[in-house]
Amino acid sequence: MSESVVVIGGGPAGIEAARGVADLGLPSILIEQRERLGGTPIFANYAALTPYFEDAEQAMDAMIAELNARPLAEVRTNTTVTGLSGEAGAFTVELSTGESLEAGAVIVATGFDHFDPGRERQIYNYYQYPDVLTLQDLEAQLKAHEVLVPSTGKPPERICWVQCVGSRDRNIGNEWCSKVCCGIASKQAIEVREMVPGCRAYIFYIDMRMYGYWETQLYWPAQEKHHVQYIKGIITEVLERGDRLVVRGEDTTMGRPLEVPMDMVILSVGMEPSAGTKSMAGVLGIEPNRYGFIEAAKPPLDTVSTSRTGVFACGAALGPADLEDTISSAGAAAGKAVALVRRGTLQTV
Amino acid sequence: MPVGGYKLLPIVHEVASATVDGVELTADWNRQFETRVIEDYDSSPLFDLAALSEAESIEWCYGCGRCVPVCPVDLVGEYGPRKVHRKLQMGIDLLEDPDLWLCTTCGNCLRVCPKQVDMIKIMPAAREAAMTAGKEVPAELQGVLEATFKYGNALGQSPRRRSAWTKGAGVPVRDLTKEPGPVDYLFYVEDYWSYHPRGHQAAQAFARILHQLGIDYGILGHEERTLGDSQRLAGEKGLFEMLMEQVVETLDRHEFGAIVTPDPHGFNALATVYPKYGHTFEVLHYTQLLAPRVSELTFTTPLDVKVTFHDPCYLGRHNGEYDAPRRLLEAIPGLELIEMMRCRENGYCCGGGGGGMWLDGHTQSHTSERLSVRRVKEAAETGADVLAVCCPYEVSRFEDGAKAAGVDDRLRVLDIAELLDMALGGPDRVAGA
Repeated sequence: MSESVVVIGGGPAGIEAARGVADLGLPSILIEQRERLGGTPIFANYAALTPYFEDAEQAMDAMIAELNARPLAEVRTNTTVTGLSGEAGAFTVELSTGESLEAGAVIVATGFDHFDPGRERQIYNYYQYPDVLTLQDLEAQLKAHEVLVPSTGKPPERICWVQCVGSRDRNIGNEWCSKVCCGIASKQAIEVREMVPGCRAYIFYIDMRMYGYWETQLYWPAQEKHHVQYIKGIITEVLERGDRLVVRGEDTTMGRPLEVPMDMVILSVGMEPSAGTKSMAGVLGIEPNRYGFIEAAKPPLDTVSTSRTGVFACGAALGPADLEDTISSAGAAAGKAVALVRRGTLQTV
Repeated sequence: MPVGGYKLLPIVHEVASATVDGVELTADWNRQFETRVIEDYDSSPLFDLAALSEAESIEWCYGCGRCVPVCPVDLVGEYGPRKVHRKLQMGIDLLEDPDLWLCTTCGNCLRVCPKQVDMIKIMPAAREAAMTAGKEVPAELQGVLEATFKYGNALGQSPRRRSAWTKGAGVPVRDLTKEPGPVDYLFYVEDYWSYHPRGHQAAQAFARILHQLGIDYGILGHEERTLGDSQRLAGEKGLFEMLMEQVVETLDRHEFGAIVTPDPHGFNALATVYPKYGHTFEVLHYTQLLAPRVSELTFTTPLDVKVTFHDPCYLGRHNGEYDAPRRLLEAIPGLELIEMMRCRENGYCCGGGGGGMWLDGHTQSHTSERLSVRRVKEAAETGADVLAVCCPYEVSRFEDGAKAAGVDDRLRVLDIAELLDMALGGPDRVAGA
């Protein structure tokens, strides 16, 4: 029997789960494949987190510092999990370092990847045109506090976001709504309008999906205070006319085609299961869903148990999730993992 | 279409005018035969409008479309609040668009709008800006605004003729300019009861009812001026404020308990606008004065009619009074009240509010049917014999509407005051008494 809980993935979900386990009094061992903790907010160069606009680096550093302050929490970077044997209460976790760890429970927090717009069937020309960017490309600019049209080095006069790139699409196989892109596009539009006040900002959408308070945290202020124009109708292609981008689509409210020049086009790319999430399903012997995210075994009232007893999942490894849902599910996973280990210990006493 | 293996696009010509089935079409119409590509969203007209005081909420629209099905103008045309926002977003300047003069400020859109886009504030602000910028104002409205400025009433009549209606009342009506002194109620007659022949009849009926109730009241005679609420909503805030100064100066010279008026527009001015300028008067719509006292009336003549009632926008939706008129109608012996599909909060506008009273020509050239005609048809569908009203704009509007709809032979338009008076025995009873 082991009291330790192994947490796989050092992003927001994994850090929170490892901290939670330690706070509940059991040792946690956090395994991260990269050289440092922080996950996607750090490695994809996020500037400010949605919807509260905290500085991403500061927020993640604070999380990591909290974890490091806990003697029961141990971190292994540059390490991946290569195998799992045994059963709940007495797992053996094999590592890429050749070591193996004894663990009572395992938590998977391997997150998501951004959709690659090169796979999009619409002609968005992401790899052809320097001024067509993704959400995380613009995040990097926002992080550097400088929004510039890549081809000219000048601030944009017109910028637009194209929603649902790589989401809600049977053709591509990504049938889900990625949940966060409407909010992130709105957040970015607010930031761009503040940074480049002369820049006109447009969001082309199929439906705006603003969960709960995002309505008044992001959508309404973007529209009412920052004069972002929301236009119903999606962009089908991004072309070049002369040296300027032209977005083409249908303005569905007017029932008319649109063909509007833009300096910058931001593709609101959605979430896909990360490579780590997909490989962990196989390594750990847990069921993924048909899309490759980890399947929660007993929804809706148990959101973090997987098909293998003693293995839990949290965050975007379970499917598209915003940060608040991620942190919540990480706490739930930590609680369930600790409870399971403790029950095992009590029974053996 | 495919021709011999080649894809040939249909060829579309745009000509300045064309005749189709004998109907001449202007370029505006035949441009619709081809798709027009939207080449820009220059939303600056939206930003300019939103920058006006009172108009900021135009930018709040998120395009849900709840307003459009309840907009009375949209039912007969292509106008709707969401569409106004959309056109502004696309760069069409409302200040130069016919839409500017189509809103009747009926308030039904605001009732359903989840973002509180307030067309009742936006439209007057936009119209004021258009007037200030020297944009074209429909001549019919311009004429009324000038008449109001010159004569103190929308009909351009002499102030001396304000109390002409009292002669036919058959009961004494105290004119406070001739018989000064305190009264319980100041009867603010407003323009259409003062000057319109059908308004005279309602005013006289109301005077007889007041007489029977023994209510102590007086009128301002030639000193009365319109309260100008519809002129305000048509964009002439300056004229409204000028009138208000004059009205307040007049009111301050008289002693009265409360003001009673038949005009929901004047009522709205006194109840909701004057207080914003620091002028507070107790004001009642005439139905609110009568409803609590209806049991004191001795009805002698059962009417045996089916009546449907049209809620005035500025009494109902804008000021929340739906019950007083109905209590009066239900008290009349023999009268059966039938409600129309659209009533109370969802009452359909007669088209007269917000300056619409003086924009019939403009509205007619941008809609398929006058709102009053549409409303009269709805009234006739109920099987009612009488369309009862309690706004002085409506008797004339709906009588014209009934003629246009061809239902004037079976649907009479009567003010509630007239119906009450008929059931009380009318002028004959007063004469006999």
